[in-house]
Amino acid sequence: MIKIVKRDQPPRAIFFFTPVLAIFLTLVAGGLIFFILGFKPFEALKFFFIVPIADKYGFSELLLKATPLCLIAIGLSFCFKSNNWNIGAEGQLTFGAIVSGGVALLFYEQEGFYILPIVILAGAIGGMLYASIPAILKTYFNTNEILVSLMLVYVSKLILDYLVVGPWSNPEGFNFPETRQFSDSAKLPLLFEGLRIHAGIFLALAAVVISWFVFYKTYLGFQMKVSGFSLKTARYAGYKGKKMIILVFLISGACAGLAGVGEITGPIGQLHREISPDYGFTAIIVAFLGRLHPVGIIFASLVVAITYLGAETAQIFMQIPKYTGQVFQGMILFFLLASDYLLFFKIKFIGSKK
Amino acid sequence: MNTNLKISNVTKIYPGCVANDNVSLEFNSGKIYALLGENGAGKSTLVKILSGVIIPDEGEIYLNKNNLKLNSPLDAKKNDIGMVFQHFNLFETLSVFENLIIDSDEQRESLREKIDSIMKKYNFSIDLDIPVLNLSAGQKQKVEIIRCLIRNPKVLIMDEPTSVLTEQETSELFLSLKKFSEEGILIIYITHKLKEVMQLCDEVAVMRRGKLISVSEIKNENIESLANKMVGQNLKTIKKKKAKTSSDQLIKITNLNFSSEDPFETNLIDINFSVNRGECLGIAGISGNGQSELFQVLSGEIISEKNSIEFNNNYIGDLSPQERREYLMAFSPEDRLEQAAIPQMKIFENVALNNFKSSNFFNNGLINENKIKEHSKKIISDFNVNTDNIELKSQFLSGGNLQKLIIGRELITSPDLLICFNPTWGLDVGAINYIHETLIKINEQNKSIILISTDTDELLKLSDKISVIHKGKLSKIMNAEEVTSEKLGILMGGAN
Repeated sequence: MIKIVKRDQPPRAIFFFTPVLAIFLTLVAGGLIFFILGFKPFEALKFFFIVPIADKYGFSELLLKATPLCLIAIGLSFCFKSNNWNIGAEGQLTFGAIVSGGVALLFYEQEGFYILPIVILAGAIGGMLYASIPAILKTYFNTNEILVSLMLVYVSKLILDYLVVGPWSNPEGFNFPETRQFSDSAKLPLLFEGLRIHAGIFLALAAVVISWFVFYKTYLGFQMKVSGFSLKTARYAGYKGKKMIILVFLISGACAGLAGVGEITGPIGQLHREISPDYGFTAIIVAFLGRLHPVGIIFASLVVAITYLGAETAQIFMQIPKYTGQVFQGMILFFLLASDYLLFFKIKFIGSKK
Repeated sequence: MNTNLKISNVTKIYPGCVANDNVSLEFNSGKIYALLGENGAGKSTLVKILSGVIIPDEGEIYLNKNNLKLNSPLDAKKNDIGMVFQHFNLFETLSVFENLIIDSDEQRESLREKIDSIMKKYNFSIDLDIPVLNLSAGQKQKVEIIRCLIRNPKVLIMDEPTSVLTEQETSELFLSLKKFSEEGILIIYITHKLKEVMQLCDEVAVMRRGKLISVSEIKNENIESLANKMVGQNLKTIKKKKAKTSSDQLIKITNLNFSSEDPFETNLIDINFSVNRGECLGIAGISGNGQSELFQVLSGEIISEKNSIEFNNNYIGDLSPQERREYLMAFSPEDRLEQAAIPQMKIFENVALNNFKSSNFFNNGLINENKIKEHSKKIISDFNVNTDNIELKSQFLSGGNLQKLIIGRELITSPDLLICFNPTWGLDVGAINYIHETLIKINEQNKSIILISTDTDELLKLSDKISVIHKGKLSKIMNAEEVTSEKLGILMGGAN
């Protein structure tokens, strides 16, 4: 007989085991889906998860996709740890990209070492501005941040659409929905000849280190932690709970904005319609898969980034739609939530009593 | 018809703790039984087993010789076991009648008649068609009791029922319980209040650390003997020396008002009082009459007008809790687990919640973990917190130890004024005594206390002056010697 027993305190090992279990179950279920579709499961999984990163170029692509995911997830971890459900990172990314892209266009055909920092800063500020909307509405008007932040995603995408089709579109661009190319001074430098991986990865790594430091070593992090557990306690201790809420939204918005900067000032070098394949939403999965811990988020962003690449390879070699990637992302989240059951309950096998 | 309830060799083990260790007990109808024990003694676990909330690891339960398998609260209801929990399980916005019929599948009309006849029989007067949120605590409890009575229970279990009641409501409850018992309902009364056991019950079973210590008739016991059985050691009775009368005023509240937008909060109306150095002002009242709001206004969680609070010749009404701490005020809120401490955080992290400037817990915005840990160790040893591991998550401390930690954390600054709200709520006798001794010591050091409490005995024991809060208004301030618990009860009920 199997008996389910509630745990009093989940052991630390389980905390890190369930994400691994979730990934394993995703692979099994994915294999099963491929089988039903008429592919050989192991071969299909190989195309999905191994072939894309088998060479130097593939690995660079992996890091390229993981960078925005990691950056956004780090920002989101601030929100989620303090029970603020910002799910509009995609919008903050887009708005950050709009602001930094606008600044980059101002410096069209200009050169100078100072341009790139200004462009990057503009992206962070854009993301922060956009994240401040749900934050302020939540703290002063009691609106639901989930709803507001989500709806603002579509607003920002429409603003981007309008700009690249209308006022900011390239005058010599034959009416393609894109802006002019940014000048080289407004672009993040590529790290290796022939590979697309760019300096944005350092922004992500810096975010990892800084977030770890802030959350575990500073008074500010301590206040965020307390406010996240209990606003009542935060108020009793004399912390400014509302300020704390706005602050975590700003941090999260800045990170998403920076991810947006990375997307447009990297290899692409211009604003266009589809700057992000839903990185802002996928990063929610990354944040939880990484247990909201900086190091966990690094690994999680790599795992999830593979699903983007795998989907492309699978489309090319197996003629299956690239949306399979989203299926895999969905399955990871699904299995993660399911295996988190083990955090709170344990399964006991006991001999049947007669 | 006689009812016989038998618990046979019941054992329930939780990781790291034996909640019930081979407990066997027998109850017969016609008597009122007390199940007495400190917090953590295992009495709650035992009654949860009886009401089907918890399934025991071993042991059997028999009702009139029938072996019961209680796998859910529904099974207990089906087997005529009724339970009234300490915390009410009522839907505040539904009407009394809707609350009563919610778990019944009988016809509404016949139920209404049944409820009317029950109310008539026991002299309950409650309007069935008003929302539950308009009821007093005593009335809410009656609703819970009626909900059990509808099912004609053979056994009625009451879990700490008087913690929210006034003296008058308590004696009404006792009358009803005696009546139920005469009608043949077997009553099991869970409490840690010795006085109530003596007043109400016929037999008493004492539990300690999961074990059944003794079963005896009340007529062979007295408060001291029961207390000793419950705690397992001879308790010294503590008494407060009469304070030296001081006229040195420490805090003065003038025309303090607070009106809330939240319909579940109480407005405070024109509060005026003052406390001298070395004095303890007790504020009595039934819970929900504005105590929580008063505490928050005093602690600075709710900001008021600058001039409404004068402390040590400074106007501090508009300061935050943290700023008030710098003026040497300290606060111990009612809710240990949701406000005063964070159970998921470690002991030393909880100590850091009282961040006063000279503590150096945080330097230049960085956490100074060594300093916090050093401080935590001092609190643990100075205030007898029963652990030596400051890395332990505080959820693993018992209520008493957690409260000692909180009081210790607040007193480490040697504040001039400690404001505490139900400091011994839900604690066992040993811990209560410790907290009381600590509070008396504070007064002896010429420091002051504002004690907001719903425990009348505690107030009479510790206060020099007493006032009663009712519907957000404070009664006149009385000298503690002139006050009796009866008089307080009348004021708490709203009469003059």
